[in-house]
Amino acid sequence: MSTKDCSEFLGRFDAWMEGERPPEARAHVRQCPSCRCLVEDMDAIRLAAHAWSAEQTDPPARLWVSLRAQLEQEGLIRDGRLRELPVEQTSERERPRGWFAGIFTVVPRPALAGAYLLALFALCVALTGPSAKQLNESRWISGTQDSTGTLSAQLQTAERDSVSAMAGSDPVVTASLHDNLAIVDNYIALCEKSVREDPESEIARDYLYDAYEQKANLLAQMTERGVNGR
Amino acid sequence: MSTLATLRSQRRWKAAGLLVPGLLLCSAASADRIERHFKVEAHPVVTIHNPNGTVTVRAWTKADVMVVARRATTEVEVDAEQTGNRVDVQTRQVADTASPDDLRTDFEISVPEDAELQIHNDSGGVNVSNVLGDMNVETIAAGVDLEDTAGYLTVKTVGGAFQCLRCAGRLEVTSISGNFKLIDLRSYYVRAQTSEGNILFNGSFLPNATYVLKNYSGAIEVRFSPGDSFDLSATSLKGKVHNEANLTPSSHHHFVPRFGNALFGTFNSGRARVELNSFDGTINILKRD
Repeated sequence: MSTKDCSEFLGRFDAWMEGERPPEARAHVRQCPSCRCLVEDMDAIRLAAHAWSAEQTDPPARLWVSLRAQLEQEGLIRDGRLRELPVEQTSERERPRGWFAGIFTVVPRPALAGAYLLALFALCVALTGPSAKQLNESRWISGTQDSTGTLSAQLQTAERDSVSAMAGSDPVVTASLHDNLAIVDNYIALCEKSVREDPESEIARDYLYDAYEQKANLLAQMTERGVNGR
Repeated sequence: MSTLATLRSQRRWKAAGLLVPGLLLCSAASADRIERHFKVEAHPVVTIHNPNGTVTVRAWTKADVMVVARRATTEVEVDAEQTGNRVDVQTRQVADTASPDDLRTDFEISVPEDAELQIHNDSGGVNVSNVLGDMNVETIAAGVDLEDTAGYLTVKTVGGAFQCLRCAGRLEVTSISGNFKLIDLRSYYVRAQTSEGNILFNGSFLPNATYVLKNYSGAIEVRFSPGDSFDLSATSLKGKVHNEANLTPSSHHHFVPRFGNALFGTFNSGRARVELNSFDGTINILKRD
């Protein structure tokens, strides 16, 4: 197959991917191994992307569970020891508020930064997955609300623990962290409102994702400073 | 002894009486000045961990790292040690009861210009000048000023402002409420993101360079010269975009944006890529005075 045919085909490859497939282009793909390979690869990627986005409408529960399992396997969580204690044997401070709160009592706190990022990955999947136009909008909205709701609740728990860990730290640093946490919370609220108003806006979702990422990073910094006493 | 001689003698003793305690005070003050020197080879790595106080780093021509620390009290210990071609400097709290002011330590550090720096400073300030090696700076409330630096520069603050004057190389800076001033840069890659802060970019757009400036609110201001050449994408989801550049329609953006406050186009031949993004802030693309 001549290079000219290939360059012509590749020059119209956008149209091919959008479904415009004239007979001469089909003939070229049949005869040219390199262009056929490209087409097959792109089809495979597209199919995988569709399957991925269709599967990921409700990812957080699975991801939280697998995250917990992974943390247990790596010894970062001591096999739910706190959860097995009778409630009356744990003080109010020790009593876990869900597994995420339990992590805060047993995990080396700097390691939480990694856990935050994994949590954000879950959110990222939830936010970017259903962006294909073919998906039902209401399904997407409800999926987003479910996933962000879970993460939001867990970040709130993390926030309470982070704030208490900061007691006794440098007041200038503590004040700055608190002020900036309020700023990030405000942006999360604004971005959530924007996503609700325009669920298909990828830009709004990107900003929401960034805001959650900032909050997670900030909480990790607060926790780390609280533990290190600096 | 005459009366005059007696008076002179009394004055001398008085002067000596004042001088001796003064010398003792100076001696006590200089006890809190710590100076250390380390011989290093090419491309040394210098890490500085100082939660409270200023960190000033300057390049010099010697193959030495000189650390001068001034601590507020002896409640804080300064550790400086060398491992191979790496020098680690950090402050350590001695007493649990020390107040944050007691822990303040100011550093003046001289390094070879090819040194790589890693600086952590929560409150106080970080100033670096003429260092050409890679650099990673992390602060909470402390501001960061870089001048005539190069290499791969990564700066992360929470509330601290950032200023970069005549920086080259690659620059990535993030903050939540810090303002950024990027003046006379010679960087081929700039990525700056702050949530509430303003971003000012006043420098040349290098050919094939990328400039990505992003915030949530506040203003993004970009100054350009008639000779600059860039491909521009400016988007504010809820805010406004003001433009003084005479743009031609960009060949890279075929779609019409769904939101109103966006601008895509090419200035001159579009050799640099400029992306400006804001959530509800104002974007100003203005002619340089």
